Amino acid sequence: MVVKKLLLSFPQGSAGEPVAMELIKTYNLDFNILKAFIDDNIKGTLLLEVRGENENIDNGMTFLREHQVGVREIESVIEVNHDECVDCGACTAVCAVDALEMDSDFNLIHHEDKCLECMQCVQACPMRAIRALI
Amino acid sequence: MAKSYAQINEKIKNGDAVVVTAEEVIEIVAKRGIKEAAEYVDVVTTATFGPMCSSGAFLNFGHSDPPIRMSQIMLNNVEAYGGLAAVDTYLGATQPSTDQGIDYGGAHVIEDLIAGKSVHLVAKSQGTDCYPRTEIDTWVDINDLNEAYLYNPRNVYQNYNAAINTSAKRIFTYMGILKPNMGNVTYSTSGQLSPLLNDPLLRTIGMGTRIFFGGAQGYVSWMGTQFNTACSRDENGFPLTPGATLALIGNMKEMDSRYIRGAAYEKYGTSMFVGVGIPIPILDEEMMKFVSVTNKDLTTNIIDYSVQGKSRPTIKNVSYEELRSGSVDISGKKIKTSPMSSLKMAREIAGELKNWIQKQQFYLQEPVTQFPMANTVNGLEIRKAEK
Repeated sequence: MVVKKLLLSFPQGSAGEPVAMELIKTYNLDFNILKAFIDDNIKGTLLLEVRGENENIDNGMTFLREHQVGVREIESVIEVNHDECVDCGACTAVCAVDALEMDSDFNLIHHEDKCLECMQCVQACPMRAIRALI
Repeated sequence: MAKSYAQINEKIKNGDAVVVTAEEVIEIVAKRGIKEAAEYVDVVTTATFGPMCSSGAFLNFGHSDPPIRMSQIMLNNVEAYGGLAAVDTYLGATQPSTDQGIDYGGAHVIEDLIAGKSVHLVAKSQGTDCYPRTEIDTWVDINDLNEAYLYNPRNVYQNYNAAINTSAKRIFTYMGILKPNMGNVTYSTSGQLSPLLNDPLLRTIGMGTRIFFGGAQGYVSWMGTQFNTACSRDENGFPLTPGATLALIGNMKEMDSRYIRGAAYEKYGTSMFVGVGIPIPILDEEMMKFVSVTNKDLTTNIIDYSVQGKSRPTIKNVSYEELRSGSVDISGKKIKTSPMSSLKMAREIAGELKNWIQKQQFYLQEPVTQFPMANTVNGLEIRKAEK
């Protein structure tokens, strides 16, 4: 059994199809809905924590793609662009769980697994080098 | 034995100068002692890379045909000052753009120019007999400009304070986001590597001192604004509160956009990360004693930024070593500390300046004149009538 975080993006107009339902049933996956929303253009986003056999998860991801659902395995919903980052540390000031942390040489380290998705770092970054994926 | 600037420059020229960073020198002094280290080391490089709002650029666009006397000037939708001669302007780092607000401001235009990018110039004028054009809309890059030089009125603050928030709500400041109820502390310094903390009495840093400025060789052009050399000091001369500042000048055409970066502080404004490195000549044992300062010896005040008045209370006086440790203890509570300036980039700059000197690409410039050492800072009185 493995646990993976999957970010699903549903194209416009696909909201009526029970794709997620089929995914769970066919591939015998347990999941936790971490976030779900539909934007102004009726595009849907679903952040799932999925638990199951590795093979089943892989097949499930293929199934989703066949149904035009974008699927991406992520560790964290924030992405640090290290080319833009200057290692100032401003993001670490707001990170309550030290998912963003300075190492002993004052390089910024991103522990993706620790992130609680509060998104405060996105605002705190003066270089606008932290992007929210949802 | 005292050394002169000329003697040190001669050693640089011959490739014999011993150059180390302000961090490396600490170990040398610990091993050899002040006296021997003063004889051994010739130059100590210091550096900082932090947000410095009081920054900006003088630009000259050259004349179009027919010419225009620009009065309203926009660069990538960021307003630049139109109150100079026809095609001269000053672009301030903190000016926000009309389309993207603080996320793209004057500092970002400056960074883009240094990076060689094309910038959209739109200017308007009343039109005059000698400058008949009333509008211009064009694109320019740094090579099109006759002159482009940074002139930053206040950089490299000596011993800036740290920040905390005692209120019940989150506040947004130039010291970053401060969490409610003393949830965090932020500080902005390169500490023992910081230029003005390695020459606390400005013996070698004065008008005309040659420096690393944004990747180019620049100069100290004046004392910085809010220059406070009358600040309180410890027994070794190190400021206990914010002290001196420097006005800096340098040619943008020779700079590298790695060391000049536009920044945006949420719900505060645009600022600019400025990379500065200053060489300190080891003229004598006193200078060696100054540059051997460590984060343990340097202290600053943690100030309550939730108080919206001029006199903000000090919550605690702490050493830079404590700030760097990742947390400070306030009334028995462990509070996280986070830097706002990049130590990693400061180290890179101190190393780069050291390289320049070792490769005979950079020589020391003795100050043309020293700065006043008893300068105080005025507040602004609100008066009902003229004095």
